[in-house]
Amino acid sequence: MTIATELAQTIIDPKAYSQREIVDAAFVKIRAQQPLDKAEIDGFEPFWVVSRHADIKEIERQPDVFHNGDKSTFITNIEGNQRVQMLTGGEPNLIRSLVSVDGLEHKNLRGVVFPHVTPRAIRPLEDAIRGIAREFVDHMLTFDGKVDFAQDVAFLYPLRVIMTVLGVPQEDEPFMLKLTQELFNNADPELNRARAELSPEEMLKSLWETTMELENYFKAVTDKFRANPTDQINSLIANAKIDGEYLNHRQLMGYYIIAATAGHDTTSNTTAGAMWALAERPGMLSQMQANPELINAFVEESIRWEVPVKHFMRSAVSDIEIAGQQIRAGDWLMLSYQSGNRDEAVWADPFDFRIDRDQNPQIAFGYGVHVCLGQHLARMEMRILWEELFKRLKSVEMDGPGERTISNFVCGPKHVPIRFTVN
Amino acid sequence: MRRWQCRYCGLIYDEALGLPDEGIAPGTRFEDIPDDWYCPDCGSEKGDFDLIQS
Repeated sequence: MTIATELAQTIIDPKAYSQREIVDAAFVKIRAQQPLDKAEIDGFEPFWVVSRHADIKEIERQPDVFHNGDKSTFITNIEGNQRVQMLTGGEPNLIRSLVSVDGLEHKNLRGVVFPHVTPRAIRPLEDAIRGIAREFVDHMLTFDGKVDFAQDVAFLYPLRVIMTVLGVPQEDEPFMLKLTQELFNNADPELNRARAELSPEEMLKSLWETTMELENYFKAVTDKFRANPTDQINSLIANAKIDGEYLNHRQLMGYYIIAATAGHDTTSNTTAGAMWALAERPGMLSQMQANPELINAFVEESIRWEVPVKHFMRSAVSDIEIAGQQIRAGDWLMLSYQSGNRDEAVWADPFDFRIDRDQNPQIAFGYGVHVCLGQHLARMEMRILWEELFKRLKSVEMDGPGERTISNFVCGPKHVPIRFTVN
Repeated sequence: MRRWQCRYCGLIYDEALGLPDEGIAPGTRFEDIPDDWYCPDCGSEKGDFDLIQS
């Protein structure tokens, strides 16, 4: 038996994700009735929906059996997949990045940046990031008690942090923000390239144009950093060699693009979602002000809550049984992190936002060898922002309804209107 | 022989197997791994590993 069509359509519908409760309700039913089963939707290759925390972990623990890069890494219809292969000369993903490669290629590419983003390696950045956080807190306080926290703080602060780490000049930040939003929010008329409702064909065309614009930008970055290497991430990528050779064009561009886009958009979404949760919970701010150690728990809970990457796809390279289901070689699987992070088997109260959990094994960053490269930096920059903001903030509440992006992949709140007072 | 697990990415360090690719021989006790070692998958520090089987 396959998952009911209505439920299957809901969990891939970008508009449903803009009203998150609809997707959450669908996954509650899926976890209860068919936690690992197939979805069959017209126009799409059938795929398994992996909804439970434990099953997602089991699959991510076996990267030799479940590949990222053999098929599209995010849900795409058959026609879209065919067009991507035409555009890329046979590859299933427009961008060849860390999330869409496997095995030795993945290990080698990840190794270029990995030693520079470990907790120990990023510790010396703390003061510089705190300086940026203070700047954005000051900026927020100029708004005289009312601000759209998503647009005016959450989108901008992680952008400044990652661009500083990468070595992108400050004047290029608006360009990077615009192209990131085009890349991840293609279904949202407010944020996509055309600023309009697009057909699936138009969305792919738009994605391709955005990718080409990013590639044109980064071609100059390679030349710049090969001429004058620095210790910034883009310089490491530009100058990296595997087996004595520079990264090829697709690898280079994929690396720059994933670092420059996913490197801030996910953190922005989580930061905006955290403020939304805080503004709806009177008392939580003063709790953290009285006990700042709770800020780490607030960060972790906001990552679980917001889960900015809604899913990734995997494909099986051999037959294997998972949770009693027989997966066949070639099968496509959707790992739903949104569902995994609300699994009742792990959290007794998954729909409560709590900062007093004993344990919070959220899997928003993924698991295993493909776990998010920037997870420690993301945690650190969020912690620092809240430490700096909570020193100044006296009260905060919502000043109207928040609004979420229309997207089924990387997304979160796009408007978080708040009212605040300061000490 | 005991097994330890990274709380951030799930990597398991099995003392019986060591991590030969990382220069840690089979049979190496977790305590004997240098303190500045970090998880080869996610970069977490030695203190972020939990004992899961003793």
